[in-house]
Amino acid sequence: MNTKKIVKTIFMTEILQGMALTLKSLFSPAVTRQYPKEKRQPFPGFRGQHAFVRDAKTGKEKCIACGLCGAVCPSKCIYIYTKEDEETRKKTIDRYEIELLRCVYCAFCVEACPVGAIALTENYEYSDYSREALYMTKEKLLDNWDRFMAGPKGDEYFEKFWTPKQQSFRAHDDQAVFRPKGSNGAARPEADTRPEGVK
Amino acid sequence: MMTLTINGRKVELEAPVTILEAAKRNGIDIPTLCHHPALELWGGCRMCLVEVEKMPRLQTACTVRVADGMAVRTETPRVVAARKAILEFLLINHPLECPTCDKAGICALQDLTVRYGAVAGRFEEGKRVFPEVVDDPVIVRNMKRCIMCTRCVRMCDGVQGASAIGVIEKGARSHIEPFSGGRYNCEYCGNCLAVCPVGAIMSKLHRYTYRPWQMEKTVKTICSFCGVGCTLRLEVRDESIKRVSAEFGDGVNNGLLCGRGRFGYEYVDSPERLKTPMIRRDGRLERATWDEALDYAAGRLLEIKKENGGGAIGGIAGGRATNEEIYLFQKLLRAGFGSNNIDSIARLGLLPAQKILEDIFGQGAVANLISGIPRSEAVLVVASDPTRTNPVMGLEVRAAARAGRKVIAIGHIDGLRRHRTRRLEAKTGPGQETMIMAGLLSELLKIKPLSGENPEFEEAIKAWGKTLPGPDEVEKATGVSALLISGTAADLKDVSTSSIIAGRELASSMDIRTNMMMLAALGYILNSRIFLISEHPNEQGLIEMGCSPEMLPGERPVDVRTFREKCEQAWGAGINPEAGLTLMEMIEQAGASIKALYVMGEDPAFGLPSRGRVKEALGRLDFLIVQDIFMTGTAAMADVVFPALAWSEKDGTYTNLEKRIQRLKKAVIKEGIEDWRILAEIGKRAGLPSRYRGVADIFREIAQVSPIHAGLGFESIEEGGVLWPYKGKPLSVSSSPSSAAGRFPGSGKAVSISPPPDRNVLKLVLDKPLLHSGTLSTHSDALMDLTGGPEARLCPETGGKLGIADGDAVKVSTGEGQISLRARLESGLPEDALFISNDFREAGAFELFGYQLEPESKTPVLTVQNLKVERL
Ligand code: SF4
Ligand code: SF4
Ligand code: SF4
Ligand code: SF4
Ligand code: SF4
Ligand code: FES
Repeated sequence: MNTKKIVKTIFMTEILQGMALTLKSLFSPAVTRQYPKEKRQPFPGFRGQHAFVRDAKTGKEKCIACGLCGAVCPSKCIYIYTKEDEETRKKTIDRYEIELLRCVYCAFCVEACPVGAIALTENYEYSDYSREALYMTKEKLLDNWDRFMAGPKGDEYFEKFWTPKQQSFRAHDDQAVFRPKGSNGAARPEADTRPEGVK
Repeated sequence: MMTLTINGRKVELEAPVTILEAAKRNGIDIPTLCHHPALELWGGCRMCLVEVEKMPRLQTACTVRVADGMAVRTETPRVVAARKAILEFLLINHPLECPTCDKAGICALQDLTVRYGAVAGRFEEGKRVFPEVVDDPVIVRNMKRCIMCTRCVRMCDGVQGASAIGVIEKGARSHIEPFSGGRYNCEYCGNCLAVCPVGAIMSKLHRYTYRPWQMEKTVKTICSFCGVGCTLRLEVRDESIKRVSAEFGDGVNNGLLCGRGRFGYEYVDSPERLKTPMIRRDGRLERATWDEALDYAAGRLLEIKKENGGGAIGGIAGGRATNEEIYLFQKLLRAGFGSNNIDSIARLGLLPAQKILEDIFGQGAVANLISGIPRSEAVLVVASDPTRTNPVMGLEVRAAARAGRKVIAIGHIDGLRRHRTRRLEAKTGPGQETMIMAGLLSELLKIKPLSGENPEFEEAIKAWGKTLPGPDEVEKATGVSALLISGTAADLKDVSTSSIIAGRELASSMDIRTNMMMLAALGYILNSRIFLISEHPNEQGLIEMGCSPEMLPGERPVDVRTFREKCEQAWGAGINPEAGLTLMEMIEQAGASIKALYVMGEDPAFGLPSRGRVKEALGRLDFLIVQDIFMTGTAAMADVVFPALAWSEKDGTYTNLEKRIQRLKKAVIKEGIEDWRILAEIGKRAGLPSRYRGVADIFREIAQVSPIHAGLGFESIEEGGVLWPYKGKPLSVSSSPSSAAGRFPGSGKAVSISPPPDRNVLKLVLDKPLLHSGTLSTHSDALMDLTGGPEARLCPETGGKLGIADGDAVKVSTGEGQISLRARLESGLPEDALFISNDFREAGAFELFGYQLEPESKTPVLTVQNLKVERL
């Protein structure tokens, strides 16, 4: 045991140092929130419980039943059953289920969706006693949209976080043919032939 | 020997092939769009461009053949830029609807765009738009997506031989359309959609209900519709088959399918499927538990055996059961109940025909490879239409015709109308085939030098052939010109290899023996492979597994002691040494010597001629067990009904018409008990110990009992199946070299041929629809949408005479009964024939046909009396 250590032990310097921190904290503002009495406003773009975007025009879901969200999902918790709509002859959702218990909130589904039909809301308060309550269906998901994302909030969410930037989709510079005069190679947004809703 | 370099790698080749092929053999991938190994070369898409040293322009690898010293580069910047440009051109008019396109994930265009394409196009004008065509019951056309590779057209023209579609319009507006307009009017093979690299032509079945990556399993199995035994892949999601496909290179069919195989699978998901066993109580069929039903069935059979002896029990099996099931079925009857009364629908033609041929040439006389057909110099198709009954075998005949082989058709054969070389077929009336064949044979014997391989056999056929009617006599009897016949014979004079395809019509005839002897003689003279058309997927298995009254497994005669002893040892029970009753005899004896019938996978009340009488006979039985997947007419009369599993729900083996044993694999898990287990459980109750854990164990026992299957293991049946001769020993009848001559039965006697029917009288002919196979396929919605229902086909002239227009409802009656159905006038049919099939539940031809037993083989020969057709 060297002298320095002996001195430290006798005068309890370390304890005093600790006490000093406590004293300092006593006079600084509190950071603990009294959840659930006191709630925190999530930051924009927070990845909470899912919602299905309700198309303002049709009042229905925007989803075109492509299944890409389920394909990209790393925990494979999105189940999609699809069918042909008898009237429109288009592909539609038959059953759409998300098993929240397995979701890792990566938002890959939002990123993969070609039409911006699925979103992660700011809702993080959905714990429950039954598993069933945590299996989301199409109806529950649409309901979530109305509850948490309706109005300009939803638009903003996609605008800010999920709209692909035109510039990052530029054509290659070495592309071979038909470069229109005066063009700098930037692609024009696609014309009308994509499935309805594809951005 | 030639040497070239591809991407700097040295490649050596024996014979010149295309650059694409040379690269592929060396593991170098060159992207393609319009090229397909099954189709003729085209070189239209330019996707496969490569750089060849000293050639100024880029070359299409799929069409340019390699030359010695060539230096090829497949991924230079120039090549890549060109590919990218081509993709950009293709995408100018391509809708970017991958998210909802069923092809996405297996789309060649998508894959190549990911590999070479630009992220976005720069074309400013609008895209061409074609509306999606969904009018057709099974094929959806989405011509926006077409990239004009013409693979579909080349498939339909050059392989399927249907020539139903073509490129319509020109330039940017060119697209593919069936010549019939919106709806297809074709053979519905679906081979066009199998080769479409994009989603332009797709199946409508289960549309939009899956994405390729969502399939939970892909199971390679065998088609359940006919004796060709095509290999197909069932893609399953959620325990339901979503898609049936075939890979080029797979199986007998090499990736081709017919409409039944591709679109007919829906019957397995039909809500009408039987789900629980049923027992008749107080006259009504009521649900029962498995144990109740098994106990009751076995108990009643044992009682009947005790009272009346084993001979009072009979069994009838259908051609869709697996080898293992058939084997257990006959074992149950023979060893469990001491009865040899066991027969199958193979009795309607295949079994007796094959037996006569095997008596002459030995076992395996008809075990020939379908793939050999297009390689023969001549193909003789007699009395039945392979393009309808065994469609994929029919394609080989068409391939032979396309390759310039001589294709001779005798009898009315629709599907070869554009593919045969002599007009014999158009002239032959129904029932005249035997006569024409006789004329042809006698002429051939005169003009064609024999090979001398088997002099004694040659003597025998020559002696026998002398009594055959010559062309002139045939002309007198049939009206077919002697010149045509001798011309045909002259065509065949120099032929050194050939194939003969013959069908049920030759067997279901009072002249069956003569017919088969003529086939044998023709087969010898023309050095032929003989094929017998087989309607059911495992008809051959019925014969080999001993499902006939006179033969034990391995086609060993039951009256030979040594064969019997072998089985007795394995089964631990005695076998009755006397052959039992055949199919129709059992029915005739129902209520008399036959008290109980066990019917497995067959519907005698619908599928046998003289339906009224058959039904009555079944009604006279004391006890009837039916094991089937649907409530058939017979099942409705039964005392016990066992629900069977469908073909996609069980394991086992099928033997096709080439005698190729192939594996059937379970693709879908369905509630219920496997058919073999039902048989084993009844066997247990009848005192037959069962040690089987699965079908592999049953197969092991078959290999023990049946000498032809000796040494085969269930697990060893791999891709492509096991070909004849299997590892075992075929039955050797005699060791003398001239035995074929001795076994050419009836040689020396004058040939008896029944006089051909009068051409002025309308005849009823059993039709074979292309898209149906037994009533089973009528439970498939898609196939029903395609065909609509039962039809009576006749030619417009005859229709005119009878005052019948196309689409009229008609009543057809005979001495046996009557049916009402729609008339369909089709030009090109013989004037004296009325074609009605027995594949629709509402109206089947067997209501009209009577039968007569051919005394020797006990084949029911179809007869018709007082045929009347009236407009309703
Ligand atoms: S990715 Fe979007 S459009 Fe596609 S299924 Fe999922 S939510 Fe629907
Ligand atoms: S055909 Fe291919 S590229 Fe075209 S939309 Fe379908 S998946 Fe996409
Ligand atoms: S389904 Fe067959 S016959 Fe019909 S168009 Fe396609 S390839 Fe031709
Ligand atoms: S429909 Fe398909 S196969 Fe036919 S030309 Fe178009 S892309 Fe090719
Ligand atoms: S029905 Fe016959 S020819 Fe058609 S796919 Fe099935 S096995 Fe092949
Ligand atoms: S693949 Fe060679 S030109 Fe199309």
